[in-house]
Amino acid sequence: MKKVWFHLLGVMAVVIGAVALTTHSTPVSASGTFKVGMECGYAPFNWTQSTSANGAVKIQGSSDYANGYDVQMAKKVAKALGKKPVIVKTSWDGLPPALTSGKIDAIIAGMSPTPDRRKTIDFTNTYYASKLTVVVRRDSKFAKATNIQDFKGAKITAQLSTFHYQAIKQMKGVVKEEAMNNFPAMRVALESGTIDGYVSEIPEGITAQDANPNLKYLKFSKANGFKTSPEDVDLAIGLRKNEADKATINATLAKITTKERNQMMNTAVAVQPDTSSQGNWFLSILKQYGPMLLRGTGMTLLISLIGTIVGFVIGLLVGIIRTIPTPKTKGKRGLQWFINWLLSVYIEVFRGTPMIVQAAVLYYGAAQAFGINMNKTMAALVIVSINTGAYISEIIRGGIISVDEGQFEAAHALGFTHLQTMMKVILPQAVRNSLPAVTNEFIVNIKDTSVLSVISVSELFFSAETVAGQNFQFFHTYLIVSAIYLILTFTISRLFRLIERRIDGPKNYNVMNNQMQVETPEVK
Amino acid sequence: MAEPIIQVQNLKKAFGNHEVLTDINFDVNKGEVVSIIGRSGSGKSTLLRNINLLEEPTGGQILFHNQSILDQNFDLPHYRAAVGMVFQQFNLFSNLTVLENVVTPQTTVLKRNAAEAKTHALELLKQVGMDPFVNAKPDQLSGGQKQRVAIARAVAMDPEVLLFDEPTSALDPEMVDDVLNAMKALATTGLTMIVVTHEMAFARDVSDRVVFMNEGVIAEMGTPEQIFDHPQQTATQEFLKRYLNRA
Repeated sequence: MKKVWFHLLGVMAVVIGAVALTTHSTPVSASGTFKVGMECGYAPFNWTQSTSANGAVKIQGSSDYANGYDVQMAKKVAKALGKKPVIVKTSWDGLPPALTSGKIDAIIAGMSPTPDRRKTIDFTNTYYASKLTVVVRRDSKFAKATNIQDFKGAKITAQLSTFHYQAIKQMKGVVKEEAMNNFPAMRVALESGTIDGYVSEIPEGITAQDANPNLKYLKFSKANGFKTSPEDVDLAIGLRKNEADKATINATLAKITTKERNQMMNTAVAVQPDTSSQGNWFLSILKQYGPMLLRGTGMTLLISLIGTIVGFVIGLLVGIIRTIPTPKTKGKRGLQWFINWLLSVYIEVFRGTPMIVQAAVLYYGAAQAFGINMNKTMAALVIVSINTGAYISEIIRGGIISVDEGQFEAAHALGFTHLQTMMKVILPQAVRNSLPAVTNEFIVNIKDTSVLSVISVSELFFSAETVAGQNFQFFHTYLIVSAIYLILTFTISRLFRLIERRIDGPKNYNVMNNQMQVETPEVK
Repeated sequence: MAEPIIQVQNLKKAFGNHEVLTDINFDVNKGEVVSIIGRSGSGKSTLLRNINLLEEPTGGQILFHNQSILDQNFDLPHYRAAVGMVFQQFNLFSNLTVLENVVTPQTTVLKRNAAEAKTHALELLKQVGMDPFVNAKPDQLSGGQKQRVAIARAVAMDPEVLLFDEPTSALDPEMVDDVLNAMKALATTGLTMIVVTHEMAFARDVSDRVVFMNEGVIAEMGTPEQIFDHPQQTATQEFLKRYLNRA
């Protein structure tokens, strides 16, 4: 019981420290770049493309480009500020923390200035005024709806943390489904019949209909449509509170007329990536998005490989430290107790919290609390390594326990020190015993790096989301991606089997001469 | 000749409230072969394990060359290298081959160079008849073969004293002789040996002195003739009667 309390105390100390430090705000970077965060997957506002065509801007830390209404707007604003626009691809939920932690300077992502959002961030004036719609299947009975009250019994959803989802309340008699993470997911759900419609805004509706002829967005007259407040349908640029450039940006926006804005939107709808595919779907996806998927695969492999290796080394070290025999002097014993306590706190904390939360805390938290602006890939490597280390420590501990006590005794009786015993005798056996579990951990890492999309690391899953968001061939894209995952994990499990066999050595050994004659030793 | 190499004084060992050794006193002289016999549970193995500190004594003193091994600053790894041990369960390092089992302790603890250690190891493996098996892993050997390798491993450290903890008790009867022969060969080299054993013939023929332990104390101690032919204590007589009748 006492032990449990100490663990809790340690966790609380960490949390309190972190909270105390978050109150400091990071200064705005006075660099010559204007870093704009967006999903790059919400056409026609923003999307990802592989060329710089139609005035696209390169995405930071990637060889892909972003384009769309938001990107063009970002270019205008940056120009007015005399800065160079940089697009930072960030998941929707990651946008506000990325802004407050200084990873980006502005959010131009089709975001509405809701009162809730205003609590944490500031907004400029409107840069696009939109209208709500419902996207349905063309062949469904709801396709002819002209009033938002025509949806009795329909399963309706909207994007998570948007006012779209709140607006479902106005549709009497609908079945409100769980909110979804992004538009591609909702389009898939709609097409597959899991839902009957989703609430969206007109530009997105146009795009969905253009991309997929089976879908249709509905127009409602003012009286029959959604009642919305201007702060919801009006889209604004998100800024940090007390941003010095706010006035300049508002002045720039004021100069862009409604006509000009509609023009920009029409252009965006017109130039958004072509989603109709010709010929073999498999080849066309590979041809168009092969490099993107390949880079995603490389990133996934890099993170999980390095994460597993570093985690393995951490696990071995922890294993060695935790099995050190109790020293004789009191001071050393106290130190050992303290180190062991720290290690168990480490293991409990990292094993006991989801990696997705750890990644968000490390990447956004470190920036917000300490002003440390970590590279995304670096943060991903650190998180996966530390997380894996916690698991492998326990795996190795199990491996050490499974080694016969006699092995320790024999080594000690020969005069081996603790470190020598571990390195030469115990760990080789413990590692051999733990290898199947470590393989498991590696495979889990390959798949679980997908949660790193929360900090917008462009690993395989994040790339897949982007591709699917562009070509709307969800089933096909994810089928290819699952094949890639399977190839990776299968190769790794086979590879580790080979390693295991290699460690075990040959079943037959070479006898240097006839072993039948050596049963009785000669006495000399 | 009577130069004591190990002196055990008033040694006590308890596991919790259970006292296993109550008050043990005996000296081992250089070059002597001492056999410790007695019933199972009489404390023989515990005594041996206290001598190389695999168990920490609860009381008393153990001296090696007149120096206390229980001292805070005592160089334990060096002492353990000088006082080898052969286990009932062999305890060969299962991740290493036969040759590596004998080479690694030399290079690790004594810092011998690999070539020298290998030559030494091959020579000793040959003496115990295990040289054909240098590339085998312990799991591929029989009990008797393993124990001969374990003996070679202990001897390779050039110890001053070798402790044997029932080295033949886990072996099939036909394997026992191979191991006993190897031990006999060692006894003739002048190595100091302390052997916990149930092999009465070995104790009688090979040892210089026999210690009979009973319920945590040394009940009787003397030359093999004294113990086997003229035991003074009834406990010794009863124990030997049972054993010798069986043989």
